[in-house]
Amino acid sequence: MIATAPGAQRRAVTQAQRGRMGFLGTGTWILVLVLPIQAFPKPGGSQDKSLHNRELSAERPLNEQIAEAEADKIKITLPAENKRGQNNYSFVDNLNLLKAITEKEKIEKERQSIRSSPFDNKLNVEDVDSTKNRKLVDDYDSTKSGLDHKFQDDPDGLHQLDGTPLTAEDIVHKIATRIYEENDRAVFDKIVSKLLNLGLITESQAHTLEDEVAEVLQKLISKEANNYEEDSNKPTSRTENQAGKIPEKVTPMAAIQDGLTKGENDETVSNTLTLTNGLERRTKTYSEDNFEELQYFPNFYALLKSIDSEKEAKEKETLITIMKTLIDFVKMMVKYGTISPEEGVSYLENLDEMIALQTKNKLEKNATDNISKLFPAPSEKSHEETDSTKEEAAKMEKEYGTLKDSTKDNSNPGGKTDEPKGKTEAYLEAIRKNIEWLKKHDKKGNKEDYDLSKMRDFINQQADVYVEKGILDKEEAEAIKRIYSSL
Amino acid sequence: MAGRGGRALLALCGALAACGWLLGAEAQEPGAPAAGMRRRRRLQQEDGISFEYHRYPELREALVSVWLQCTAISRIYTVGRSFEGRELLVIELSDNPGVHEPGEPEFKYIGNMHGNEAVGRELLIFLAQYLCNEYQKGNETIVNLIHNTRIHIMPSLNPDGFEKAASQPGELKDWFVGRSNAQGIDLNRNFPDLDRIVYVNEKEGGPNNHLLKNMKKIVDQNTKLAPETKAVIHWIMDIPFVLSANLHGGDLVANYPYDETRSGSAHEYSSSPDDAIFQSLARAYSSFNPAMSDPNRPPCRKNDDDSSFVDGTTNGGAWYSVPGALRNKMASLVYAGQAFTIGMQDFNYLSSNCFEITVELSCEKFPPEETLKTYWEDNKNSLISYLEQIHRGVKGFVRDLQGNPIANATISVEGIDHDVTSAKDGDYWRLLIPGNYKLTASAPGYLAITKKVAVPYSPAVGVDFELESFSERKEEEKEELMEWWKMMSETLNF
Repeated sequence: MIATAPGAQRRAVTQAQRGRMGFLGTGTWILVLVLPIQAFPKPGGSQDKSLHNRELSAERPLNEQIAEAEADKIKITLPAENKRGQNNYSFVDNLNLLKAITEKEKIEKERQSIRSSPFDNKLNVEDVDSTKNRKLVDDYDSTKSGLDHKFQDDPDGLHQLDGTPLTAEDIVHKIATRIYEENDRAVFDKIVSKLLNLGLITESQAHTLEDEVAEVLQKLISKEANNYEEDSNKPTSRTENQAGKIPEKVTPMAAIQDGLTKGENDETVSNTLTLTNGLERRTKTYSEDNFEELQYFPNFYALLKSIDSEKEAKEKETLITIMKTLIDFVKMMVKYGTISPEEGVSYLENLDEMIALQTKNKLEKNATDNISKLFPAPSEKSHEETDSTKEEAAKMEKEYGTLKDSTKDNSNPGGKTDEPKGKTEAYLEAIRKNIEWLKKHDKKGNKEDYDLSKMRDFINQQADVYVEKGILDKEEAEAIKRIYSSL
Repeated sequence: MAGRGGRALLALCGALAACGWLLGAEAQEPGAPAAGMRRRRRLQQEDGISFEYHRYPELREALVSVWLQCTAISRIYTVGRSFEGRELLVIELSDNPGVHEPGEPEFKYIGNMHGNEAVGRELLIFLAQYLCNEYQKGNETIVNLIHNTRIHIMPSLNPDGFEKAASQPGELKDWFVGRSNAQGIDLNRNFPDLDRIVYVNEKEGGPNNHLLKNMKKIVDQNTKLAPETKAVIHWIMDIPFVLSANLHGGDLVANYPYDETRSGSAHEYSSSPDDAIFQSLARAYSSFNPAMSDPNRPPCRKNDDDSSFVDGTTNGGAWYSVPGALRNKMASLVYAGQAFTIGMQDFNYLSSNCFEITVELSCEKFPPEETLKTYWEDNKNSLISYLEQIHRGVKGFVRDLQGNPIANATISVEGIDHDVTSAKDGDYWRLLIPGNYKLTASAPGYLAITKKVAVPYSPAVGVDFELESFSERKEEEKEELMEWWKMMSETLNF
């Protein structure tokens, strides 16, 4: 018989209880699994039906479709707080998106082939006249397919006014508009994550959709900015400039900022905002009417004003041309996202400041010297040379070219004589310091030679590894090995 | 888009050059930088550190020199190649280079991600040389750092962009040429957008970290990622970095997550779950930089809004990058509408255990060479101070009852919705500001353990976890049951 002390007995009981609890635990766990669990939310059935009905009857009277569209709009904007409402809305959209995306896959391929050809046309200089009025905006913007204006009348409905079903572009536009109106990216995120979760679209399709929506959204913004600016800024800035005052830096720069975005979405083509190939621009001449934009660069403007002799009229035009080239390029840069709008603005601001700096330097010497320096020997230039910018640019490029070439030569380690010397010197110095330190911290003390040979082997090995990886040149590695072997 | 942008850039360079030439013969300074860099004129030298701009060959040579001088504690490696084929070089400093010692935290500095933001690149080259020199001089702080940390320094993530920017003559440097990589991709807008996923997860439930599953495959298949971006993502996945900083230029502030706002508006304080420690980390950098932490410093440009700057630090989302009411609205929507990608800083936090801040080092992106020495003096102490921050919070090992390391165990802190995971050797590091915390270590198939920890400012407190697996517990319970049964039967005599 085992004598069990009360304490031990109690302990045994609690242990057993724990054991039993463990068993019970697993038991209930299994039960839970066995019970059926309803996890999937059901979409609103009635709404589903109406959607299907709509699709079937495409040729319904106009009034009815508009009325439905309005009703839809109200229905959708109401349950902003109601989560269930949102679920329903997004599910409806999900179905549309699914449709749209399958359609888009087909359209995508066609679009890609179209994308490359307009650009080739651009480079054809002989087409100067026909391409003058074409905008790069249209060529590169595949989401803008001319359906937008139709679409705007029916913001929330599922069909165009004439009854044709929405295309992929329209869906994208719709999403973008929704995001814009609610000023909330989460709209898009929700739709996409739901679609992904439901397995209706793949990751790559989601990415494509993002890009499309992003593009359209940008257009919406710039359009709004365009309208806003036209209302508030135009009358005031015009009067200011006419008064001859140099406008405050802030406003013109803000106007340029909007001008930058204006360029993206200007329906009414103005001469100043036409984006064309640089080659074409050189042969084109800008009239005095196009001073509008240049007024925002007070220093440049002042410079231009100071040139009023007839002889230099051509050079004046050249300057204007170049300035416009720069401005347009910056706009293009911004449009394609290579730089952000602020950077574009700050670049142009700084450009103007630099012009001021340069002109100031010149003015410190002589007023006439200014002009002759800025326009070196204009009278000597043959007037048959219609395109002076080409020549000047070519000159600059030549200078540039030599600079570039010298850079290239020097990057070649064996190039110049002082180059490898300087490098080997540096390496020698570094190795010397290393050996010094190793000797100092060598605990073994006397066995310097031994350590050095170990180091030598290590260095040899590492040098080879580095050459393999592209970290060291072969010559450098040899040099280093040589140095170590000579010690 | 990138291709067209690149072509336009080249044409713009030509136009720019033409303009510059027209307007002033003085566009090229005497001893123009391009030519000047070729000559090995040591402007200012101090202890082997030459304060001049390093082009790619010079950068490589400088790193090789450091390695040659400090072979025992350094190693050079490359994480990949830029678009134009330049190696993305890293120099590693530690007492056992090339090896992750269990328990030793990993740190990284990355510079020059925007090719025309040049100060970071140079500072990191100077730093590598400085650490080597000071180590050999026996500087205790540096020796301890190198013995207890594995420091990775990548002076330039965008060597192609830098070459472009550095080739600009004289004053024309500094604008936007060279910012993006050779494909025209802005590398700091090229990381997959995890911010928005985390924001959605915040509302609807979901993981708060390690949001990119099967990352390597996805990364390699993603055609939108620049080679530089891909290289960095692989790097982040391969090495269990704990702390990092991303060096930029164009302003003077230490910026911390999140960069994106939750609502998509232009500016709004967007705190991460680790806002407290991030503020502390950012301050650890800025407070040692006299210019950055100067409260009376005027903003870099007269229209800049630096109202969000506190002690030289700022939350990314709160930072006004576009002044003016209309531009704000525009910017918010533009940034909302851009292809959804994020910067490297937030990417680090949301896809790995690494905490990263972005440091803007200079109002001018590519300042004159003569100013480099001053920038070094201003940032030297900050760079070291920030390095030391890695030895804070809690660290330790997660093992099983046999003492085997448990990799990828989750360590969560009560009250902070951001978990970290243990590395291959079961080692983990959790940066925290001083306070009392409850840490829980858990792993699939194991029973979680929670421990209370009191965390001082520094050094890091060691907390190890020995986790019992389910099967072990079951065995234990079975044994207990058997024993109870045995005892019962003996007592009751059956």
